[in-house]
Amino acid sequence: MITVDNLNFSYTRKPFIESMNFAVKPGEIFGFLGPSGAGKSTVQKILTGLIPTYKGSVVVNQTEAKKRNSDFYEHVGVDFEVPSLFEKLTGRENLRYFASLYRHSLPIEPLLESVGLANEADKKVMDYSKGMKSRLNFIKALLHAPSLLFLDEPTSGLDPSNARVMKDLILQQRKSGTTIVLTTHNMYDATELCDRVAFIVDGTLCALDTPRNLIMSRGAATITYSYRENAQECQGTSVLAETANDSCLQRVLQENRLLSIHSSEPTLNDIFSELTGRKLQ
Amino acid sequence: MRFVALVRGDIRFQFKYGFYLLYGIFVLMYIAILQLLPEEWKGYVAVLMVFSDPTMLGLFFMGAILQFEKEEHTLHSIIVSPVKVQEYVLAKLCSLAVISTLVALLLAKVGGILDHPMRFGLAIVFGSCLFTSLGLVLATKAHTLNQFLLYTAPCELLITVPAGFYLFGNSAPIFLMHPGCSLIELCMSGDHVLFASLSLLLWTLLFVWLAIRETRTYFSTLGGAKA
Repeated sequence: MITVDNLNFSYTRKPFIESMNFAVKPGEIFGFLGPSGAGKSTVQKILTGLIPTYKGSVVVNQTEAKKRNSDFYEHVGVDFEVPSLFEKLTGRENLRYFASLYRHSLPIEPLLESVGLANEADKKVMDYSKGMKSRLNFIKALLHAPSLLFLDEPTSGLDPSNARVMKDLILQQRKSGTTIVLTTHNMYDATELCDRVAFIVDGTLCALDTPRNLIMSRGAATITYSYRENAQECQGTSVLAETANDSCLQRVLQENRLLSIHSSEPTLNDIFSELTGRKLQ
Repeated sequence: MRFVALVRGDIRFQFKYGFYLLYGIFVLMYIAILQLLPEEWKGYVAVLMVFSDPTMLGLFFMGAILQFEKEEHTLHSIIVSPVKVQEYVLAKLCSLAVISTLVALLLAKVGGILDHPMRFGLAIVFGSCLFTSLGLVLATKAHTLNQFLLYTAPCELLITVPAGFYLFGNSAPIFLMHPGCSLIELCMSGDHVLFASLSLLLWTLLFVWLAIRETRTYFSTLGGAKA
């Protein structure tokens, strides 16, 4: 679906994106995770053909991104972080207008219903809340049933309930076979949504794998337990894979003195910090 | 089909954003003024009104239209759609030419200068496309509406001063090489209609080409990189 080979790009004379290589497989959700200014959105702009002045090879849907023509966008959908809608037109008018720009488009009503906007479709967009605009903007990118969908910070600035709606919509798209490339600085979104995650810092790829592999390869899961000892509460910690060797744990288990037990895994944030020395948020 | 959809979309945009309402008020004012004028003045004033307003409407409206599209980020959605730059530009020219021509025909009728409606209408269409193209070129260079208005001021002078001179002073054929003068000649059904038509057509084609070129350059910078 996407193959990037030795990608280099700079806004100024100073290199910004350096020697980047990766591939995105059909049907997967591929995430770029990194702090603000790391280069995530720039890479996405290159992939969507918005920045043609790069060096190296960027092949998207069998087309070199800088040589794309208008047909390229018949199969590619882009949902920008900031809503790109005509504020004085209604939600329905916006969708009708953008749908008319494509050769084939999906019916508008089911799309509006899928994001709970069917009853608000005849309101002007300027009267929509931020969450409603985000949902409308999202289905605008789906109007022509793209096989490849780019999402820039899809849950940014949304309250937890709207973020949940957005994440469910993204997962629905994966179920229907759409390949999705998203950028985020939210490790929870990346862990939940992405099949594979690429860490980006200062324009370079630091790691690329499934969230689970990244977590398991870098840090062992641990358990923390508390127990009674001489009428006092004490705590112990043990690596999950070595609990059989923890004599204290074995003893308190046999003597029924265990008060609590919790397992914990490192998060993507921990792995990110360990690999890059930087924090995500 | 996509081109028709773009033109319809642009007309709907102009209507919803109040451009038609604003313009309707101006037209009613112009008609009222024309009705009050003595018969011998009506023709000249009608030509002046047609030249300075409906024909040049695109020059002013393009700044506001592009500014709205920038602020609402809809240009980003356009450039990641199958719309070609030339379709985008030509749709803008057509949508504004529709309102320009209708209003110009109305003013010409009221002013009693509508001897050749087809020729007059075509002249307005070309003139409108020329000035809208100029407006689009300036709008792609301006970062704010104020900056756009600043850019239009010298252009207005360069267009209207020779045209005014041609209308009220020296109407030597050499002036017809100026697009404003050739437009006046066509509106007045003068003696050099053929030469004026050719001149206006060439200027229009040149500016449409420039508008497409500058819009393409502008679109290529929307991703944040220099062209």
